[in-house]
Amino acid sequence: MKFITRILRPEQVRELVTLFLIVIIVLGFGTLLTDYYTGRTFVRVSTSIAIIAVVAMAQTLVAITRNIDLSLGAIVGFCAFFLGVQLSYHHEIGPVPAALIAIAIGTAMGMINGLIIAYGRVPAIITTIGTMAIYRTAIVLYSAPEGGIVSAHRLPMWARQFASWSIFKVGDLDFRVMVGIAIAVVILIQLMLTYLPYGRRLYAIGSNPEAARIAGFPAQRIVFIAYLIGGALAGLGGYLFLLQYGNLMVLAGVGLEFDAVAAAVVGGVNIFGGTGTAIGAFLGATLIGTLDYSLRRWPAISEFWRNAILGLLILLAVATDSAIMARLRLIWARAAAARTAEMAEAKARSMPQA
Amino acid sequence: MTEPILELLHISKRFDMTQALDDVSLAIYPGEIHALVGENGAGKSTLIKIATGVHQPDTGEIRVQGRPVVIHNSQEAQALGIAAIYQEPMIFPDLNVAENIFISHRSRGPFVRWNQMYKDAEEILAKLGVVMDVRQSAQGLTVAQQQTVEIARAISLDVRVLIMDEPTSALSLHEVQQLFKLVRSLRDRGIAVLFIGHRLEEVFEIADRITVLRDGKLISSRPRSEVTVEQVIRDMVGREVEEFFAKSSVQHGEVVLSVRGLTKQNVFYDVNFDLRRGEVLGFAGLVGSHRTDVALALFGIEPADAGEIIIDGKSVRIRSPQQAMELGIAYVTEDRRKYGLVMPMPICANITLPTLPQFLNGLGLIQRQKEIEVAEQFRQRLNIMTPSVLNTVERLSGGNQQKVLLCKWLNVQPKVLILDEPTRGIDVGAKVEVHHMINDLAAQGIGIILISSDLPEVLAMSDRILVMHEGRQMGIYTREEATQEKIMAAAMGHPEAILERQA
Amino acid sequence: MLSTRLASLRRMQFLRSWEAILFVLFLITLFYNSARAPAYLTVENQINVFYLYAEKIIVALIMTFIIINGEIDLSVSSVMGLAAGVLGRLIELGYPGELALAAALVTGLLCGLWNGLWIAYGRLSSLIVTLAGMIMFRGLVWVLVEDRSITTFPDWINNMGQRPILGPFPLSLLIFFFLLIIAYIVLQHSAFGRYVYVIGNNREVARFSGVKVETVKLVLFIASGLISALAGVLYTARLGAMRASTAEGFELEIITMVLLGGVNIFGGSGTLLGVLLSILLILNLRNGMSLSNITLQQQTGVIGALLIFSVLVPNLATRVRAELNRRRFARLAAEQAALAERKEVKAETK
Repeated sequence: MKFITRILRPEQVRELVTLFLIVIIVLGFGTLLTDYYTGRTFVRVSTSIAIIAVVAMAQTLVAITRNIDLSLGAIVGFCAFFLGVQLSYHHEIGPVPAALIAIAIGTAMGMINGLIIAYGRVPAIITTIGTMAIYRTAIVLYSAPEGGIVSAHRLPMWARQFASWSIFKVGDLDFRVMVGIAIAVVILIQLMLTYLPYGRRLYAIGSNPEAARIAGFPAQRIVFIAYLIGGALAGLGGYLFLLQYGNLMVLAGVGLEFDAVAAAVVGGVNIFGGTGTAIGAFLGATLIGTLDYSLRRWPAISEFWRNAILGLLILLAVATDSAIMARLRLIWARAAAARTAEMAEAKARSMPQA
Repeated sequence: MTEPILELLHISKRFDMTQALDDVSLAIYPGEIHALVGENGAGKSTLIKIATGVHQPDTGEIRVQGRPVVIHNSQEAQALGIAAIYQEPMIFPDLNVAENIFISHRSRGPFVRWNQMYKDAEEILAKLGVVMDVRQSAQGLTVAQQQTVEIARAISLDVRVLIMDEPTSALSLHEVQQLFKLVRSLRDRGIAVLFIGHRLEEVFEIADRITVLRDGKLISSRPRSEVTVEQVIRDMVGREVEEFFAKSSVQHGEVVLSVRGLTKQNVFYDVNFDLRRGEVLGFAGLVGSHRTDVALALFGIEPADAGEIIIDGKSVRIRSPQQAMELGIAYVTEDRRKYGLVMPMPICANITLPTLPQFLNGLGLIQRQKEIEVAEQFRQRLNIMTPSVLNTVERLSGGNQQKVLLCKWLNVQPKVLILDEPTRGIDVGAKVEVHHMINDLAAQGIGIILISSDLPEVLAMSDRILVMHEGRQMGIYTREEATQEKIMAAAMGHPEAILERQA
Repeated sequence: MLSTRLASLRRMQFLRSWEAILFVLFLITLFYNSARAPAYLTVENQINVFYLYAEKIIVALIMTFIIINGEIDLSVSSVMGLAAGVLGRLIELGYPGELALAAALVTGLLCGLWNGLWIAYGRLSSLIVTLAGMIMFRGLVWVLVEDRSITTFPDWINNMGQRPILGPFPLSLLIFFFLLIIAYIVLQHSAFGRYVYVIGNNREVARFSGVKVETVKLVLFIASGLISALAGVLYTARLGAMRASTAEGFELEIITMVLLGGVNIFGGSGTLLGVLLSILLILNLRNGMSLSNITLQQQTGVIGALLIFSVLVPNLATRVRAELNRRRFARLAAEQAALAERKEVKAETK
């Protein structure tokens, strides 16, 4: 037991539990459904998770600082739409420039959020409810000359095929580029949160904002940048969204911000700040995505149960977190106290007798 | 004599109506433990906030090593080597110990090197003579350990002046000794320590120099060897101590509250006492003795695990504040802001909050007029300084806020009134009024439990004194047999030993 | 640096003037609209303006209580939908309308109970619990109604929603006024109302003062469920139809109405008067925009911007004022110091 407390932190135990649940779900549904362990399943699940995972990264960053972003879905929608329209008229834009365009637009939209929240001191929930409305309206206005839709057949060839590009194939398992991008993003964000001072300061601000202020952090700048990055990620999400679906309507991306919150919460991110990892949010997205797909394939339950079960899952995740994480932390603290006592003893023994 | 490391010269600071500091000049020398004492409102925290850049002085200047500086924020103060540790723990519970120490460092490189950080943290703690698991989350640390981490953080930033605001208020006796050891080692390394303390015994134990502030002015600043406790108290208060406590004798009625074997796991054990009507039972002890926890158990906020509570002869289980109130128990908290009063609400609304059902008419609506009348009566009775009971509590002085808090619970017409540090943080005049009030209430037949860390106050006001030490009851002393030494000795865990009187 | 006393005094004054600002904006909107459309100020038109939003403003009343209490309820629109779904499905299955209606209301009550138990006794964040509820209850609507739309409702239900009941007033507006009066009395004049404020301001003080915090929260969320269900039923009656996406997204506008009315998102302050003025403003703004052929979707952006500015502008104003004050005090202090010096010099040269 002490060995475990040495190697892992309670949060990592939580991640392992989430992973374990995913495995259970996969094994469980593998026995219930035919043709479950196929390449098709893998592709469907992985590509559906990809977009949510990227947006969940954005939500995780701001959640760690005790904020929230309800406008992410609108940013995804706008970037997807904007890019879609641009690509429809300019077939010469390639995949990389297109990504950069979407990211740039997303960053600008995230910047507006950041300015209002960090410097205008308007609470995040109010700001992002407002910007969500504004950005949705922007989509409507921007798409009006196009009749409110983007049609896949008017996109350049590469855009129509992008969703089926793969990085590599292992037997039946087809690892798509989209999925690769999403995983790369998750890894980058996780590295940032663990190894960059900026990432650690995000946790500090969420953990104790008062102490952060006194310690002299430029808290405003740090939160501002978090929303900036969040916007960029949402822009990337919009890029993937467009390439995944091809045909867009004005309601593109509606609800994504809530899916992102769900993924983060199920993955162990605390909405009150201070804890949570990118990997956790990714695992949360995977859990939800896998469960979602499996339920849809299961004839015993109609597909319409999807949301009901999802909502229940979120609630259970938070309820058990609240009950169990506190107890885990207590166990870890006791183990640490024991270790400290050992260290003190060892030191006393090694000292020459007075 | 060496050069002072920090000089605050002719500092004045005014906040709207109050002159918080009036031409205060102070020199802090390296390698010296400098204690700053004074009553609440004397200006101590304002002075240190100016030293750490939280406030700007209206007049005067600050010099660091002879050079005049302007400190705009705590970052600049840190850069000059000035760091402060406040009563509220300024640690990050979600980060580990090592990170807490180094979190505000700018120059550790573009990437976080965890193993290096752990090593560096252990080194710094070793310099302080402390061992701790640096990988552990800061959440599980005790208050004493959190303080140590904050000190380690200051050391890592090459602090030259370490300011500590009431560092011992939440520590057990053992932890205080550890802290003092640490502070002495800091001094021996040439760091200047500015120490704000309330407990004169501790101040006299640790300080090399003692400075007294009163009402924003500097009254005296002398080496510890040249001054006595009485002199310091006189400087702090400005008049002779005896005047304050006037206890009138009161007839005690029958037993209203009996407590037998009251226990709460890991908090307090086997508390036993009887409380009579009209009696004042003092609860003495140092912070960490868990007296408040006993009160919270009696008031139903944190019910006890075992033991008996008997009110007017009937045995009861108290599981909620509503229940406690119905049984006639009222608890006046020590933390007005957090647990006592709703600051933006009017005085009258605060007073009627626990007893609101009594102020409803037949339709269940609040009778505002009646509320105002009752509040007015209280205002006059306790002499609360406010133009109107409709004003919000926020605007009142500490002493008047305490009075409003008292009114709130008097309105419940309790049989047992538990007062938790009722005169903490209020000015001298209000203190006297509160003491008179306690006398009056006892005379009316209310049983009073007075929790106080102010030994002279407990000795003067109580009929009997129950002493607690780290959750255990050390004994109950009658008024006649109680002396400061006996109570202090018991509070420190040695009921038989007798302490030397401070010279 | 201003003392906290002065800052809170300023905040209070500003809050009183918040309602004044809302009122002024409302009048401006009213006059502008009536200048553009001659029939604007008629009773008929005004009623119509309210009528289209009656369900949302009814829910805004209970949302006011919840936000003042320091919580939030994101699930209101899903409860509206679920109540509509229960109503529709039971009628589709052939049950009498009265039974279906009662069942719909009970559904709302149960949803509120679900939320309330987790929040009040489970001590979970209301943001997350009601977010989960929002998703879950909406999911249950999908289970009930799938991708159909139910359009056959008994006449009496349709009439209830679409015909005026008392004079020119439809039932939904009457219910709104009735609930408004009750809300006002409860919030400002009852013990429960005061508890709502106190808990929102400082939960611990409430607890230490013997207030049953959990009970208050539970009651609030049950009420929210019940009233949302009522609103859902009225909405369905008005449209004469429902589908799984009925009332989707309403929660945001409802919350906007409350926040724009000066209710602090963190709890502890706010008035029904402010919310009422905010409703009047938003409704007339929307109506005016519709007259200018701005579509509903476009209007949402304007309302969103209004919400942000309503908090942003006072923030910036307070900061500007604080900065100006700081400079004034500094100047005064410098002047005083200079004056004192001159006096000293004079005394010395005597």
